[in-house]
Amino acid sequence: MGATPSVAVEKAGYFTVPGAHLYTVLHEVPNPVARVLLVGSFVAERHTAYIPWVRWARFLGARGIECLRYDYRAIGESTGVLEEMTFDHWIEDVQLLAGWLRAREPRVPLLLNGLEIGAILAAKAFEAGSGDALLLWAAPATAHEAIRSVIVRRVAIEYAFKFGDERKPVSQYIRDIENGQPLDLEGYRLPSRLWRDSFHVQLPRQLASEGGSFFPPVRPVRMVELDAKAAPLVKGSSLLDDALARDLTPLFFENFQWIAQAMAIPSAGRQ
Amino acid sequence: MNTFIESRELIAVDVGGNRLWATYHKPCRDLSNLAPDEKNRVGILFLNSGLLPRASPSAVYWAESFARCGYPAIRFDLPGLGDSQGDIPEKAFDFVSDGGYAPDLAAALKNIVNRYELSGVVLMGLCAGAVTSLFTAAISAECQGLILMDPYFHVPQERLKIRDELSRWSVLSGPGLFAGHVYHGFRHLARVLRGNKLPKNANLPLLRSWRQVTSAGKPVLVLKAPSLKTRGIKPRAGEFDYLAYLQRVAGSGADVRVRVIEGTNHSFADTAGCQGVREHSERWLNHFFPLSTQTEPQEATVMERAMALPGLRS
Repeated sequence: MGATPSVAVEKAGYFTVPGAHLYTVLHEVPNPVARVLLVGSFVAERHTAYIPWVRWARFLGARGIECLRYDYRAIGESTGVLEEMTFDHWIEDVQLLAGWLRAREPRVPLLLNGLEIGAILAAKAFEAGSGDALLLWAAPATAHEAIRSVIVRRVAIEYAFKFGDERKPVSQYIRDIENGQPLDLEGYRLPSRLWRDSFHVQLPRQLASEGGSFFPPVRPVRMVELDAKAAPLVKGSSLLDDALARDLTPLFFENFQWIAQAMAIPSAGRQ
Repeated sequence: MNTFIESRELIAVDVGGNRLWATYHKPCRDLSNLAPDEKNRVGILFLNSGLLPRASPSAVYWAESFARCGYPAIRFDLPGLGDSQGDIPEKAFDFVSDGGYAPDLAAALKNIVNRYELSGVVLMGLCAGAVTSLFTAAISAECQGLILMDPYFHVPQERLKIRDELSRWSVLSGPGLFAGHVYHGFRHLARVLRGNKLPKNANLPLLRSWRQVTSAGKPVLVLKAPSLKTRGIKPRAGEFDYLAYLQRVAGSGADVRVRVIEGTNHSFADTAGCQGVREHSERWLNHFFPLSTQTEPQEATVMERAMALPGLRS
């Protein structure tokens, strides 16, 4: 997929939160019809999903929807100490940025769009009152489910590069982190505490049980499962094979149409 | 939103009609407060592997560490990658192998050197980033040295799916492991019988760039992670030893140093990789690009600070 001719101006900047600076990129649109806060994937998955995530922001920008994407506290370009983070900090990031985006023009509707663990964080912030609509991509039932799958990938890499006596099975990694050792995920040293906490970080009950399309008070919600066809937006993909050739336009277009409908955008489809 | 914080600045460089983004890590001392002769220092510009964005934890760690030693450090997104504008070529890795990014990067180097009053730049690249760094060094007067992390000197070919499956089988199962040993043993034999010539898929333009760079006297540090199924500097049985070849063909004025970092993998992202790269690079920078009036930071202090970085406490 080639780059979409964008009317958005992309502005990178730092947003100050308690104890850290969040790296943000605003895809600024004159007179936007809606705004979207993009809550991306976690640690190592952030890297592989980056290109299609940026393309999604540009796709929306080209259709008059202003987007803000960012890195979680202590992840990627943002500052902060991962060992000191909790999931509550990351939910707070969503709330603070949603507040900032909302304040730019309160009459313009705001949607939260989360990917993988970002879907849980976005849903939590939405449950607490942020945003007018919610779009969840590849939402795991718990944060733990997502982190565990990252470990499996990590072990696959280890198997390729190490000799038999240096290899560890997945169960050993899990024993280690449960015994208090941090887990190295592509350079992110995930503390044992986050692993334990991740069992309890889950989608709000309304979404987990019903896969709800509305959230009280009536605010539209959509949950989208993403399979291997959406790689490398979701895990399990090979960068070399997938990142470039994969055309995600059908996925983007379908979700854009839902956003246009949910946010009652009159000129949906404008290029 | 601010484009800078105490230790970093987000910078945009317009090249070839695209706005390219980078993160500049300020050196420990403000350049603007220095006397003119002290300003003569190189910056380190890092290119990440393949299609990865500029902000992986290891890249941030190295940039912060170099900046603390007094070297301005820049992490850079090539066109179409990370946050930078531009289309990614359909055959991106062929584009890399052809040196396709080099003209844009060379133009960006000019801009950055002027903007921060640097005497030049050391390019530091990982994997495909190393390939682009080497091509750029051959055409850029601003590039004064290279740190190449696990570079490759062949043109990667598209692999059939069955070959990927066989590779996986040879890694994950006992019989596969045995079959892999036999296969690579035969490859080794065939290579010896052919006189250990350059493989057909060698990237000849890249090898020419290597000769240009080394014969121009630009120092090169090659950092190697252990290759698949092998230890130390030697490649796996059956594979051509490019590093031995490159050291032979480097010009007479060449200064090429090769270091292996054990216990890490190709990404150098784990603790052993991060620390090994930092230590070897800092030693090499201090040797070839010493900061004239800088008080050398004590190793323990550097280490303490580095270990306090996100993701690297032990």
